[in-house]
Amino acid sequence: MPNDLPLKDVKICDFMWVMAGPASTRILADYGATVVRIESPTRVDTARTLQPYYGNQFGPDSSGLFANCNAGKFGISLDLGNTAARGVVHDLVRWADVVTESFSPKAMRAWGFDYETLRKINPGVIMLSSCLMGQTGPLAKIAGFGNMAAAISGFTNLTGWPDRPPSGVFGAYTDYVAPRFTAMAILAALDYRRRTGAGQYIDQSQAECAIHFLGPAILDYTVNGRVEERVGNSDTDFAPHGVYPAAGDDNWVAIVCRDDDDWRRLCAAMEDDDLARNPHYASAAGRLAHRDAIDSSIAKWSRALDRGAIESRLQSHGVPAHQVQNSADAYADPQFKHRGHFVALDHPSLGKFTVEGPRAKLSRTPAAVRRMAPSLGQDNQYVLETILGYGETQITELVASRALG
Amino acid sequence: MSVLSPYRVLDLTTERGLLCGQMLADMGADVIKVEPPGGSPARSIGPFYRDAPHPDRSLYWWAYNRNKRAITLDLERDAGRDLLRRLVERADFLIESHNPGHMSQHNLGFADLAKINPALIYVSITPFGQDGPKANYADSDLIIMAAGGPLILAGDADRPPVRLCVPQAYLHASADAAVAALAAHHERVRSGLGQHVDVAAVQSVAMATQSNTLAAALGSIEPRRMSGGVKMGPIEIPLVWPASDGYVAMTFLFGSALGVFTARLMQFICEQGFCDEATRDKDWIAYGEQLFSGAEPLSEFDRIKQIVSRFTRSHTKAELLGLAVERGFLITPLTTIAEVVESPQFASRDYFQSVAHPELGESFQYPGPFAKFSATPIEYRRRAPTVGEHNSEIYRDELGLSEREIADLTRAGII
Repeated sequence: MPNDLPLKDVKICDFMWVMAGPASTRILADYGATVVRIESPTRVDTARTLQPYYGNQFGPDSSGLFANCNAGKFGISLDLGNTAARGVVHDLVRWADVVTESFSPKAMRAWGFDYETLRKINPGVIMLSSCLMGQTGPLAKIAGFGNMAAAISGFTNLTGWPDRPPSGVFGAYTDYVAPRFTAMAILAALDYRRRTGAGQYIDQSQAECAIHFLGPAILDYTVNGRVEERVGNSDTDFAPHGVYPAAGDDNWVAIVCRDDDDWRRLCAAMEDDDLARNPHYASAAGRLAHRDAIDSSIAKWSRALDRGAIESRLQSHGVPAHQVQNSADAYADPQFKHRGHFVALDHPSLGKFTVEGPRAKLSRTPAAVRRMAPSLGQDNQYVLETILGYGETQITELVASRALG
Repeated sequence: MSVLSPYRVLDLTTERGLLCGQMLADMGADVIKVEPPGGSPARSIGPFYRDAPHPDRSLYWWAYNRNKRAITLDLERDAGRDLLRRLVERADFLIESHNPGHMSQHNLGFADLAKINPALIYVSITPFGQDGPKANYADSDLIIMAAGGPLILAGDADRPPVRLCVPQAYLHASADAAVAALAAHHERVRSGLGQHVDVAAVQSVAMATQSNTLAAALGSIEPRRMSGGVKMGPIEIPLVWPASDGYVAMTFLFGSALGVFTARLMQFICEQGFCDEATRDKDWIAYGEQLFSGAEPLSEFDRIKQIVSRFTRSHTKAELLGLAVERGFLITPLTTIAEVVESPQFASRDYFQSVAHPELGESFQYPGPFAKFSATPIEYRRRAPTVGEHNSEIYRDELGLSEREIADLTRAGII
């Protein structure tokens, strides 16, 4: 089956690091691309230092985030500042269809690995650079992470309660959005090259990608001059629309009524005739006007009940409802199980190591997570010998040069 | 020629999957939005142009249907389904987001249409996937965020989890679907065969947990929500800090990668007179481990956080951003939507694009191309279509229906 993976003929030389970049080439690896990831032996990839940790113990290979973003790839350690590394990079670029990088702008140029240089080595190469703000502009130099791009593109300020400072979206939000645009851009550019023979350079700003996820709010400003603000859990059209307490510590259920039918079904499921008969609540406009009172009634009802039982009861009545799941809930969730969302891989020293599975199910040529993320330099021998065809002397010289770290 | 110009996409999505077709359309594919007579339910989603509900004036519709053409077609009727099958013969992709089973019940499922066009890539975007115990759950953005993991992580510790700004779930799913469609296309070039692509929004949004959805499976503690930051065990880590005129996002973290940045910031904070040298010279690489082991008391970390916030609060957002650019600090301002649109950074890259709405005699600024392609720049060729705007150009000019046939179909309410 692995031979049938959709991208089995695609070769990627991947300089990306941390989160947004590696998450994009992880998608392509799932679909079968051969991804050779270049990692610095001296400057540790931030992702290797981030939680969650296997067994709650920090170690060079214990980051679940790193494992999740880099499963299915090969890893070579290369000190890009070492001149002996240059030849290896050039050979990888010659081998590759696609070169990807996510450093701050100018880093690749400083090493002599900018697009203009690399296309002389491989004229058909597709090169994609991904960084927070793009390769140009007054803020191009801003280094950092998706939490910072989420702030400067409007997400953080827009999430939370109107009477409080911003709660913020969780973590490096644009790092969750941008990878799909990255993978998409690469696949489209590959198709264009197949048809025309032409490679190209792609300058991707993670902030500019993410702003598409705020499209209607942006237009509300550019068209109507309205600046949308934090609204808590309220919705402009739906009420009730909220997160309600259930029995236990920090247990919650999300409940939404999309229309009057949902509302009637919710009242029936709650067996609350007073709510059902209240004329003020019969229309969406009425419910929006009285949302605080409705929220209190629902919370009073839900507070003593089991969250899973609330979910089942409301869903059996056709009302949108779901317990608010943490990682243990998701891991036990029958739907996630059914979808094969959690995949246990074999780690050479740690045993079973769980990562997330591919995001889409392809009926004829399904994606697959083929191997654990590489430890630092794990595939040096394989990459040099099998992929690049280096002989023993060449490899010995490289090791002696300390270019591999 | 643009990057995907040879390909035709039939976009049957409801309000759920609109971004998928738009990503393909932005890259040049010929995307035809197929809507029920009267228009898609997505056209009733606000906000609206000048706040007046109108099917052609939904800003939600505008935001996610750019570069598409649109026809109306009643798929509840045999004649409508026949016309769709004729369109399918010449289509490369079909995207739909109906509840599982809906399309098959109308004899328009993947198996039905693959018989007409074996090369068709048929993309389904649903809340929970095509099958499984929760496949038929009623849903909305908030429900998917609750099930998929991001919701529990967002909000204030003393209040319920809070929604992630405006609806996001189907955008994540749509973007995954667009990638999957192109991966299937890459394979089709070899095999000549299409396939079914099944995307579940609940899996797509799990991406927005920063891999913390793996915490239980890996035996790790998991973060708890906290306003403007995150709580790891007993340690409260702010990610949003006060400025004199608002807030900034600042990565003030530790470890071998991030501790270096924190050391650089503390050097500056010390130079500015906000802390003593002993505070400056803490081991910022090992600091996180020291906090977890208890070697560094939490009260001391509280003192550090007070120092740092005294520093951030003594500057404006713009000053802090300037320092970030000059000195490589990990700081950006929290911006309002207005500040995003007026940003000199986006202006210098010509990011926001003016799109003409001839029907209103106005042009508006839209979020610009998601990437700059050197050989095949993304072009905004047309605003989102009005209801049935391209009926005659598609039914008459491309399917070859006569004016009479079109008139009959219109009278019968099929188109």
